[in-house]
Amino acid sequence: MEDLKSRSGGGRTGLSERILGGGTEPDPRFTLANERTFLAWIRTSLALLAGGVAVEAFMADLFGPELRKAISVLLLMLALLIGGGAFFRWLNVERSIRRQTPLPLPWIAPVLAIGGALVAAVLVVFVLARPL
Amino acid sequence: MPSRRYTPTHGDAGLQPERTELAWGRTTMSMTIAAVVFLRWMPHHGWFVGTLVATSIVTAMAIGSTRKRRFHRAIHGINQEAITPATTSIAALSASVVVLAGLGIFTVLLLPLHP
Repeated sequence: MEDLKSRSGGGRTGLSERILGGGTEPDPRFTLANERTFLAWIRTSLALLAGGVAVEAFMADLFGPELRKAISVLLLMLALLIGGGAFFRWLNVERSIRRQTPLPLPWIAPVLAIGGALVAAVLVVFVLARPL
Repeated sequence: MPSRRYTPTHGDAGLQPERTELAWGRTTMSMTIAAVVFLRWMPHHGWFVGTLVATSIVTAMAIGSTRKRRFHRAIHGINQEAITPATTSIAALSASVVVLAGLGIFTVLLLPLHP
């Protein structure tokens, strides 16, 4: 295989040098794709954040204060986990493409799925238990 | 009259620099929308919510102001076949979202509701 991109450390400075460690310089397209995936996760987190705020601010007529608080905190905690996890996901993928190892599993994906399902379950219980 | 602005070109048929730039642009918009949604909290939770609005607006402005630099970095990276990852921007953006979510949880749980 051609050894075109084995300029170790060539494209790294400052913080990148410190946290990305060894390996060889990958195709820049992979780095940019990883960056876009990170941004997609961040936007997911921002949507959850806005959802959490909206539930607290706009649902006063529909939900009681306790339920409103619970759903809002659940969504905000999910936003916190996804927002923070997005950075570690980006970092692990970046390290893995530099070392040419298999990509790590995205643990934030099941967090999002379980969290989303939990919020949906709370809402289903609320709808079923609500007196007509 | 030709434009005096210099924009470097690249040979990437996948248009990765443009797509990455647009992804940052969408994120800036999401952050601005978050700031507007936070504003809705102000009548309920008081002036503390201003910290959330300020954090999101400062983050959105920081992304917006580094837009051109980031686009040029991507184009140079494609041309040079080696790119410096945007580690600082990525870490800062992630930290900003974590801080916003943390402040949001604090607001819901601990700040009294204004009638």
